[in-house]
Amino acid sequence: MQAGLEWLPGDFSQPFRPHRCPIAEDRDPHAPEPVSDAELIDRVLAGDPEAERALYDAHVDRVFRLVYRMAGDLDRAQDWVQETFIRAFEKLGDFRGESALSTWLCSIAMSVSLNGLRKVKRFREREVALDDAPPVGFTPREADPDLKTRLAQAIEDLPEGYRAVFVMHDVEGFTHEEIGRTLGVQPGTSKAQLFRARAKLRQALADFAGDRNV
Amino acid sequence: MTDDQLDERIRGAAREYNAPPATPREEMWARIAEARRDRVPEPRVIPLRRRRWRWAGLAAAAAALLAVGVGIGRVSVAPEASVWEVPSAKGAAYRLAAQEHLGQSEAFLTLFRASLQQPGDHRLAAASARQLLATNRLLLDSPAAGNPKTRLLLEDLELVLAEIAQLSPSSRAEDLELIREGIEQGGVMPRLRTAVPAGAAPTQGVL
Repeated sequence: MQAGLEWLPGDFSQPFRPHRCPIAEDRDPHAPEPVSDAELIDRVLAGDPEAERALYDAHVDRVFRLVYRMAGDLDRAQDWVQETFIRAFEKLGDFRGESALSTWLCSIAMSVSLNGLRKVKRFREREVALDDAPPVGFTPREADPDLKTRLAQAIEDLPEGYRAVFVMHDVEGFTHEEIGRTLGVQPGTSKAQLFRARAKLRQALADFAGDRNV
Repeated sequence: MTDDQLDERIRGAAREYNAPPATPREEMWARIAEARRDRVPEPRVIPLRRRRWRWAGLAAAAAALLAVGVGIGRVSVAPEASVWEVPSAKGAAYRLAAQEHLGQSEAFLTLFRASLQQPGDHRLAAASARQLLATNRLLLDSPAAGNPKTRLLLEDLELVLAEIAQLSPSSRAEDLELIREGIEQGGVMPRLRTAVPAGAAPTQGVL
């Protein structure tokens, strides 16, 4: 999808709750009154480069956190965040203001990230096909890393929709309503995918269920 | 340990999953600004109230442009541009292969969506999806995917086909519902129909 935007019809009818934005939480109380998103958008559309920078500064932390969680690699995360903002500036005239700007930006960021992950996956599959494939069905127990490492691998093995929802909900603290608006799905779908993602993770990490000391 | 307790341990450990470092703001901004400078700016959207006075001029320009376009159209025969056009003669084979594949995929997804109305065994659909998926991946690596729109359509199609290919007799109604949502929310069907000219979609070999 265009790398993107076409698959993000979304339900933008409900207001976004800006209190979740880390920028808002960490704001310096002595800083000047922040400019509203609507004002920034008008100025960007009018060609004000300072407004572009201000808009970027206001949202880049949240976008970067989310993209990095998905990418797990600094170079890739930087590339995807850059692409997100370049696209956002190009499409800003199409932003209808029915959702918060941060939600719209996260939608683009997730679209860019998921497309990027597909490319990475295809590339890795080709690499594996060229190399000698590892033996299947044998995992030496002594090589098992700890829970965090195993969990990271299990998360990366999740289908991308499950992984996106799990990262957004359980790692980054989005609500199902926010996830629904960001990914263009119903909150119920988000809940179902989270349920299934957790089930798959439990299955992958079942041997830790009896190990209380890890 | 119960599922809830294990979930809690997983959630606790997940907070450190791909823990992000400090945002490299300046580095990223420098590259964004550079990319923005290198691009030709798109025409700005001007609010209606500001451009009302320009209507007469715009209408005259549009009429003139239309007249020129009609004139050119009458004296020349140009092939209709399509989503997956490959800009070289040797791309014709890939274009035809992509056209046939997209046509087959459209027919397959149409039947598959209809089959979702009734409960049943989707193993045949999964097998067909696997065949289409193999072709799809070949096309993604071919010059046919050089066109960005074609590539995006093939990438979206790949996701849908991969989900169907994984169906098994034990698949639940939720799985089918997620696939149906994937087809509808991605706008895959309308885009397939747009990409395939009417009457140019042989379906043999798939159904």
